[in-house]
Amino acid sequence: MSFRRELLFSAAVVVLFALAPWIAPLLQLELSTVSGVLVTAIAVMSVNLLLGYTGLPAFGNAAYFGMGTYGAALSVSYLHVHFVEAIIIGTLAGLLGGLLLAPFLLRRRGIYFGLLSIAFGEIFYFIAYRYTDVTGGEDGMRVVRPEVQLGGLHAGISDFGFFYVALAIFVVALIAFRTIVRSPFGRTLVAIRQNEPRVRYLGLNSDRFIFVALLISASMAGLSGALSALLLNFAYPLQLDWHQSGYFVLSMILGGAGTVWGSLVGAAIYVIGNDVISTITPLWQIFLGALFVACVLGFPRGILGSIDLLLRRAPQTFTDDDVNAAFDPAAPVEVGRGR
Amino acid sequence: MIHDLGPQLFNGLVLGAFYAIVAIGLSLIMNLTGTINMAHGSFMTLAGYLAYSLVLRGTSFWFALIAAPLIVVVVGIVVERTLVRPLYKREPFYSLLMTFGLSLIAEEVYRLIWGPNAVPFSPPPSLNGTTALGFMSFPTFRIFIAVVLIVAIVALALFLTRTRFGLRLRAAVQDTEMIAALGTNTQVLYAVNFGLGIFLAGIAGVLAGGMLGLSPTSGNSLLMPAFVTVIIGGMGSLFGSIVGGLLVGMAISLTTLFIPAASEVSMYVLMAIVLLVRPRGLFGEEGIFG
Amino acid sequence: MTRPVLSRRNFVTLAGAGTAAAFGIPAYLPRIGEAADTIKVGLLEPYTGVYAGPAENETHGFEMAVDAWNKRGGIMGRQLELVKEDEQNDAGVGAQKARKLINQDKVVALCGTVSSGVSLSVAGVANTLGTLFMDSGGHSDDVTGKSCHWNVFRTCHSTWMETHATGYSLAKRFGKKWFLITPDYAYGHSLETGFKDVLAHIGGTIVGNELTPLGTADFSSYLTKIDGAKPDVVMVLVQGDDYTNCLKQMNQFGLLKKYAVGGPQVELEPLYGLPPEARQGYWGIEWYYKSEKTLGKNNKVAQQFVADTIKRFGKPPTARNAFGYITLDRLAQAMSDAKSVDPVKVARAIEGVHFSSIFNGAAYYRKEDHQLMWPMWVAKIRPDGTPGDKYDLFDVTDTEAAEAVEQTVAEKEKVCKLGYP
Repeated sequence: MSFRRELLFSAAVVVLFALAPWIAPLLQLELSTVSGVLVTAIAVMSVNLLLGYTGLPAFGNAAYFGMGTYGAALSVSYLHVHFVEAIIIGTLAGLLGGLLLAPFLLRRRGIYFGLLSIAFGEIFYFIAYRYTDVTGGEDGMRVVRPEVQLGGLHAGISDFGFFYVALAIFVVALIAFRTIVRSPFGRTLVAIRQNEPRVRYLGLNSDRFIFVALLISASMAGLSGALSALLLNFAYPLQLDWHQSGYFVLSMILGGAGTVWGSLVGAAIYVIGNDVISTITPLWQIFLGALFVACVLGFPRGILGSIDLLLRRAPQTFTDDDVNAAFDPAAPVEVGRGR
Repeated sequence: MIHDLGPQLFNGLVLGAFYAIVAIGLSLIMNLTGTINMAHGSFMTLAGYLAYSLVLRGTSFWFALIAAPLIVVVVGIVVERTLVRPLYKREPFYSLLMTFGLSLIAEEVYRLIWGPNAVPFSPPPSLNGTTALGFMSFPTFRIFIAVVLIVAIVALALFLTRTRFGLRLRAAVQDTEMIAALGTNTQVLYAVNFGLGIFLAGIAGVLAGGMLGLSPTSGNSLLMPAFVTVIIGGMGSLFGSIVGGLLVGMAISLTTLFIPAASEVSMYVLMAIVLLVRPRGLFGEEGIFG
Repeated sequence: MTRPVLSRRNFVTLAGAGTAAAFGIPAYLPRIGEAADTIKVGLLEPYTGVYAGPAENETHGFEMAVDAWNKRGGIMGRQLELVKEDEQNDAGVGAQKARKLINQDKVVALCGTVSSGVSLSVAGVANTLGTLFMDSGGHSDDVTGKSCHWNVFRTCHSTWMETHATGYSLAKRFGKKWFLITPDYAYGHSLETGFKDVLAHIGGTIVGNELTPLGTADFSSYLTKIDGAKPDVVMVLVQGDDYTNCLKQMNQFGLLKKYAVGGPQVELEPLYGLPPEARQGYWGIEWYYKSEKTLGKNNKVAQQFVADTIKRFGKPPTARNAFGYITLDRLAQAMSDAKSVDPVKVARAIEGVHFSSIFNGAAYYRKEDHQLMWPMWVAKIRPDGTPGDKYDLFDVTDTEAAEAVEQTVAEKEKVCKLGYP
């Protein structure tokens, strides 16, 4: 897609979302649910960066999300910080989580990376669950949404206001994400996914690239967590469990791994689908499970990935990498031009 | 506290025996095709429920112990042919995700059929008492579980080493292409291998149902220890799963004695350590998962 | 590359239709029961997850109360309607569903929840949006303690009530050396605190306190320590499926024959899941369908409730049914008394008002913290029920008055500020 077309398309989506407070009720959707989609999309983006682009099974991102949500919750409750500070602290907490775990995670690839992520995620989960005095344990922590206090500006944030804050932050995150994945750095990540030894033979230190990707991913997940704490006015340990990581990964697969907008599409399907189906029937878990199974089996490229494939966005000349990529369902089809 | 050490170690060993049965099933499935079966716990729970229903209808516990896993094997093979097989040529994490979705479906289906509350399932009176062991009284049923493990291991070992099919299975784990080229029907091999793993899951499920509670969410709590066991013992090694199971059982028991709060986490810490220091596990094969 | 399973055109059509359907369906859903004349009450329960059993029973209780009121003509001439949502035992989902019920379905009040974490989250949302929340099943002290609100009322007993109703009674019966098996999370910790308070008052000791971490399926490591500690009684604080696991294993270790066992609370749901030989001990119970001590003498309303439940659902009501029934009954009564659905007016009409219901005696939602002050009971388990009634598992032994077992108003006021608008 040309840059112009992409810009128009993006603007259209943003405008559509900006009208959500009026559109959502028509679909019987709560505005805060749409906010939830945006917040989740950021977390899914963090997984997408590691899994979709770099090819590392990121099954432990809920841990960074949790650092973010508790970072925000604790700082609001005990340090009485304000809205913007809470978000920053949460993001930094996620980053801290990434810094703590990166030395360990970097040592492994493939499914071992994934299992290690799960292991660490569970350790974080237990800490959140057990240290009742600090985190409230399974009862969770109430977060009173603080005001924004910047310079002379004092403003409380209602659900309505929060939506636009979330939208703005999401747009910024999306732009950042797109910039990262289209940059040489991002291309190197894709190269690592396709063939890491080759990247090393070319003289690049793949570990360093993965390290940075991990930190970015952790920060994004932390950002998402902080926003979640402020959206729900609540932080609770279940958000750190590996099931939550699994839902992020599945949302990414639904939307399309390795695509820029896939995170939003996947998050939308998961959050809204869950919300709608669970209202209709208490058997929603069957539908959700079936959706995941069908997606993994039939549409592993996800919605956007499949559309890309079918619209034949392929370069005209195939290289080894492209052939390899063609047999790897998680790869975006094109390698030549950016998407 | 030292006085407790003996009983705790023994308890840990027996607990480990149980984890080992689960882990071997998981390992079998993983070794041949790289399938990570997050629904293993669901198959276990199904076997437990089926055994409960059978006993309710008047069959003996012993009959149910064999019949229930067999029924679950049928279900397992259907699942293998329809859902698991398409994922063989893909990376392992797809099977992880797909079976995760499957476990969600299973839990809700069990809730529909058997209700949301736990159902009362116990071993037969002959096994339901305690045995005096000198230094402690120990549940007879747990000793039975250890016995079952030994029988299962011996049977499996015999099957793998003394039968032609077992030979083909072992060969296929080493080099599937070659054995296909030599004329073996790999599709049948995959199905039987999966069925074998599920059979062990079924046995473990009936045993778990007798030892612990039986509810729609039972499978979840047993899944993670099983994975940890496979990782510690080493992927690709059945012997490793046994040793891993015993280690995990003892680790949980001993941390309960010394640092109780950490006993469940200890499993994950152990897993992380193994993954970092020697990712193929104690007895695993290099290169199973890169 | 192999041919795709679907042709391109078919796929795009399918995807398009699917997406449109997924997003468009809600718009076309018939809004069930959209009669403008009904008073809608939102019910949030964990229909999926570990608490699905209690959730179902609470819902049955709610439904019975709604039917009873509707048969009498409803409230102010309008029929009552329950709008149910699955909070999935997840605080975040609970918060979202609460918002949905209030904003989309326009419920006049929210009820329900089983897990305290969800209760607290929903209470917060309800408070922000100025709607009543009747917590029927979440036991945490904080709901009527440091997280109390003017719009939140709680029907089931608090954890403090549970420990104090049973602690003194069990100490008197068995002795003062206790071995605790405590779930290592917030609920367990608060039970532990409550018991420690009781022990401090009677000069008892804790000879062992096993904190069992989250998701413990196997209790053997903890149970093997009991012999060494030589307690008078083993107090089992774990709940739900953990309770079933623990007792089953205690039985298999022969501990139930050797030691007295008891605990702050047990529910019939996990008890039915235990094999009869593992059903032992003295436990706190919050209500029971077949005892004069719990129901009162000739309590027609209670007898009707029990009979109707058996007829409709095939099994007798548990304490969870009772929570649901009492909660909705009181809510409806308050709305009727206040002749309004305005939350503040209704709240004022609930608090402090004495009433009789399906239990023995009269009770009231305390003005200072909105906790329902009704008795709690201690019961011995009958492993096989009584001849002809396999459900009749409780032999109720003691009654404990609410005021005697809950924290005093003075203590509560230190932490609870209702904050009426």
